[in-house]
Amino acid sequence: MSDARILDRGYRRYDGPRHGLRGAMRSLAAHSAQRALGLRRPLSSKLFPVLSVVIAYLPALVFVGMAAFLPDDLIEQDLLPSYPEYYGFVTSAIIVFTAFVAPEVLCPDRRNGLLGLYLASPLDRNTYLLSKAASVMGVLGLVTTGPLVLLLLAYTFEGSGPDGPDDFLLLLVRIVVAGTLVSAVYASISLAASSATDRRAFASAGVILLLLVSSIVTAIAVEEVDGPEWLWCFNLIAMPFELAQHVFGAGAEMEDSTGLTFASVLGANLAWTAAASAFVWVRYRKLAVTR
Amino acid sequence: MSAVVRATGVAKRWGATTALDGVTLEVGRGVTGLLGANGAGKTTLLGLVLGLHRPDGGQLEVLGLDPAEAGPEIRARVGYSPEHHVLPPDVHAQDLVRHLAEVHGLPKREATGRASDALWQVGLGEERFRPIGTMSTGQKQRVKLAQALVHDPALILLDEPTDGLDPVQRDDMLALIRRVGGEFGIDVVLSSHLLEEVERICDGAVILAEGRVVAAGTLDELRGPDRGLVVEVDDRADVVADGLRRRGGEVTLDGIRLLVSGRDEGIYDDVLEAVTEAGVGLRRLQPATVSLEQVFLGLSSPGSKQ
Repeated sequence: MSDARILDRGYRRYDGPRHGLRGAMRSLAAHSAQRALGLRRPLSSKLFPVLSVVIAYLPALVFVGMAAFLPDDLIEQDLLPSYPEYYGFVTSAIIVFTAFVAPEVLCPDRRNGLLGLYLASPLDRNTYLLSKAASVMGVLGLVTTGPLVLLLLAYTFEGSGPDGPDDFLLLLVRIVVAGTLVSAVYASISLAASSATDRRAFASAGVILLLLVSSIVTAIAVEEVDGPEWLWCFNLIAMPFELAQHVFGAGAEMEDSTGLTFASVLGANLAWTAAASAFVWVRYRKLAVTR
Repeated sequence: MSAVVRATGVAKRWGATTALDGVTLEVGRGVTGLLGANGAGKTTLLGLVLGLHRPDGGQLEVLGLDPAEAGPEIRARVGYSPEHHVLPPDVHAQDLVRHLAEVHGLPKREATGRASDALWQVGLGEERFRPIGTMSTGQKQRVKLAQALVHDPALILLDEPTDGLDPVQRDDMLALIRRVGGEFGIDVVLSSHLLEEVERICDGAVILAEGRVVAAGTLDELRGPDRGLVVEVDDRADVVADGLRRRGGEVTLDGIRLLVSGRDEGIYDDVLEAVTEAGVGLRRLQPATVSLEQVFLGLSSPGSKQ
């Protein structure tokens, strides 16, 4: 006769450590990032984020390959883009990814009422939003920072990267700062759009529409109607990347630069980020949570 | 600390509407029912207990802390199962419960183990890796209960936990809640408008009406003192009644049924003698009880408010 038996452990009390508010924020940010990337979700949820990330990294992989296989004289003829110029190749991927991530992170919690459960935990509305913003920033970093870091590392290993550890570190810091700034602006704008509706599709469409309309209208106003240059400050596609160019020290020398000063570009981006963040905060402050 | 929730003169207004009007109550250990019609102030009270709103007046203490000042600390030790279905359909039950355990402060490894345990405890052990959207209403209610107890809270707030369940599922859920409040040793506040549920599993109850506490206490206290005996005979109930009156009893006659007032133990002997003397058969002999519904209706009737 077997000695096997079913063991009923009953209910176990827990008196171990609890991580409190910081643990709650960390968990929420990680869970939201996983959700945005489709991890631990059906295959259909993974397709779009994986595709966006692949598109963002594809040019970097091509350039790394070119650097590895093309003769040095061709490379020295500026065949490969500079780091700030790389953004030009992946702007569309970043914008599409931006339009997808924040709605995925923010809208479902309101739509299915999970927000009420989060607010019954150590989180409150402010810490909930901070966690979500950190999550969106982190995920956007995959496409705003990751490809450039990949380029830097690959170029360095191939011997066509920066000269010496100091230059390497300086470039790495610039890449991270530029990527973080671009992520911050787009995270706040897409979070603002996502806070206005609990439907992901509407929020995504809203983000893309907002960016495209701002870009088209300002381009027409400045270039066709000869409006003042400061109108570029309302171009939500150009401004974050212009700021990134300034971080790399390229600024006004770039071919597609708006010609605005660093202070103007920085001020415009800060203003957009602050305004969008304030909108989200007010929306959630007034939100009646279903419980 | 015997009271897990203590309110003194708590008031809360939403604009021109007074949701709670000077609520004073104590919620003790075990399972406590929070009763009241829609709009009575139950959900507002739960929100205050969780520290989600600040009271406009009065003092509130939950687990010995002031929720207005220590909301996150209290919420870390309180489990909450909301009334509405609030579960993401495309997430596995195990993943959601584990995540909410982490959000309540448990380390990842412990959260994973306890999520499995909690889902087993509510009877979803075999179903824990199913997406929640594929589950029945009863299973979803169990997932909500599992997420409320996964982090081993000191207090669980359950808002209409049997909403949408069929009678069998409802019985199972009530038995489960009774286990949580008894065997698991977690204090439970059960918000419900179903008096029968509260009567079946609660140790005490708080009855709210229009933002005021109209009654609170153990179920025995709410039902009031012993109302005597119900006696049912097969014939000649009037003769039995006369016999009881001769023995000093107060008797109300209703067909073949008699309500004999008094709590003296000798009342049983008096009934036995009166029935024997009348030569009739005894069909029923039981203490006269008052249901919570009778208490509630009595308190809710016009002019009965305290």
